[in-house]
Amino acid sequence: MFWENIKLALSAMKSSKMRTALSLLGIVIGVGAVVAILNLGDSASENISKSINAGGTDIVTIWTQPNERTEDVFDSEFAQTIKNSVDGIDKVIPQMMSSAAIRANQKSVGSQIMGTETSYFDAQKLEFDRGDSYTISQNINHKEVVVLGSAIAQELFEVENPIGKRVNFIMKSGIVKSYEVVGVLKEKEQSFTMSFNNSAFIPFNTFITKLEHVKVVSSYVVKTNKNYNTISVSDNINKFLDTSVGNDSYDSFSPAMITTMANEVTATLSLFLAAIAGISLLVGGIGIMNIMLVSVAERTKEIGVRKALGASPSIIRGQFIVEAVTLTLIGGFLGILFGSFISYAVTNIAGWTLTLSYKSFIVAVGFSMFVGIFFGWYPAMTASRLDPIEALNYE
Amino acid sequence: MRKTVIHLDNVKRYYLVGDFFVKALDGVSLDIEKGEFTAIMGPSGSGKSTMMNLIGCLDTATSGNIYIDGENTEGMNETELAYIRNKKVGFVFQQFNLLGKESALRNVETPLLYAGIKPRERKRKAMEALEKVGLKDRMYHRPNELSGGQKQRVAIARAIVSDPTILLADEPTGALDSKTGKQIMELFENLNEEGRTVIFVTHDRDLGNRCRRQIHIRDGIIER
Repeated sequence: MFWENIKLALSAMKSSKMRTALSLLGIVIGVGAVVAILNLGDSASENISKSINAGGTDIVTIWTQPNERTEDVFDSEFAQTIKNSVDGIDKVIPQMMSSAAIRANQKSVGSQIMGTETSYFDAQKLEFDRGDSYTISQNINHKEVVVLGSAIAQELFEVENPIGKRVNFIMKSGIVKSYEVVGVLKEKEQSFTMSFNNSAFIPFNTFITKLEHVKVVSSYVVKTNKNYNTISVSDNINKFLDTSVGNDSYDSFSPAMITTMANEVTATLSLFLAAIAGISLLVGGIGIMNIMLVSVAERTKEIGVRKALGASPSIIRGQFIVEAVTLTLIGGFLGILFGSFISYAVTNIAGWTLTLSYKSFIVAVGFSMFVGIFFGWYPAMTASRLDPIEALNYE
Repeated sequence: MRKTVIHLDNVKRYYLVGDFFVKALDGVSLDIEKGEFTAIMGPSGSGKSTMMNLIGCLDTATSGNIYIDGENTEGMNETELAYIRNKKVGFVFQQFNLLGKESALRNVETPLLYAGIKPRERKRKAMEALEKVGLKDRMYHRPNELSGGQKQRVAIARAIVSDPTILLADEPTGALDSKTGKQIMELFENLNEEGRTVIFVTHDRDLGNRCRRQIHIRDGIIER
């Protein structure tokens, strides 16, 4: 009976192609929009994760907000204290920050100056274009050496090899300091926290003794142990800091956490947009109801004949519901194709990687079936309730 | 003893039109036995179509009882009535009432489809019925590719395919020329000779006279 109904539905569609196509369009656009939005949402969050995670998902950064109570706490030894107090930490690297104009070859460029340890580059997955990091002993011995970000090196030296050249830091106070370039970083995608390309890195000890004579560390970069979940390690660090220094004296940040948050935001957003697209599906459903009502009216006589031949009301109802569902399912499948094509086109233009999720297809098929049953119900009921004699005599 | 297949007991059918009742049938009692060839005759508006609709379970009586093959149809719901129509009644209409988009074969198969018979068996029986009306070679044609007489033969094949208790024909020759009409009449006579109960609704005196029994209706009551 079911297959018979599908055959009947297909032959009914064939006999009024234009009308069928037009009423399908509503479903195709509705389903297409839902599929496109769900898939683009997935692709967008994947893309966002990728850029957030550029600095590495195993990093937690703690920014200090020193006050009278804590300004003596945040020194380089405190890095060791954090490491010893929380499980799952591989390394804690202190980092100082300042800014200066860097001068060389009669050119000058504004830059962030970072004082940090040799292991920082590895932790942040920074690679070298030329030269190498300053050594551990250069750090211990307060050597005046610098690693330049790619943008700074490009600006000051262009094609020239900067290794071994000297650059001048012109500090806000007006003091000028001369440093020797030992390394240049490869260009790195902009991370959420740092612009590595526009920074210059000098040994931590050099920074605190020769550049600025400060003791309060501006941030600690925590590299978590591979076997631990970064977010839970980050939570434990926060707990430790809350009790030891108070929650008003630091901010912590981890790409993993931001990724989770960003994914939640995009998921919510795409759900919201999909719901709006769902409204167009609703409109499409009304179109289906309309065509089904027309179809029932046109086929009143046929319904009468079928009833005379012994079709019960439930058989007639089944016939028209199957017809509506067949219609919306065809629309649904075309919509999946349409939506996938839109997703492909948009991701291609935006330069994202396309992720087509089978979930969106299931949602699309489920929705179109639901629309078919929901909006096919009333016309089908109308058909099943027709009086056989009136239907037979209908012209 | 012959078996009574249709028993009408003081059947009334009133329609409410505006503020007053139209008494389409006003107390009709009737027995039809198995194997009879009966003509229901009367002028238009006499109530013969109403009677046919009631016997065919397309309509229900205002009062009185209708027994089809011993079953009282009073109080039956739409599904039960559909079952009776499917199993016990074969309709032949004046305007053929074939399903226009379906082949002759699929038209004949339709009652069997509703009876839940499997496709292979359906096709076999439908072909058998088409053969009986002499249209086996036209089974894949659609109604619009068939002549009036051929259409009516398909309709007759459809009416007999599920071997119903009664064959109910409403002016089956009314839309045909006299020669074709005669052939269709002969077909009904042959079917009756095979033992089928045929009820023939007509206002044509000549055709009515060919039936063994005639029932005349006027103003909703049986005249004679």
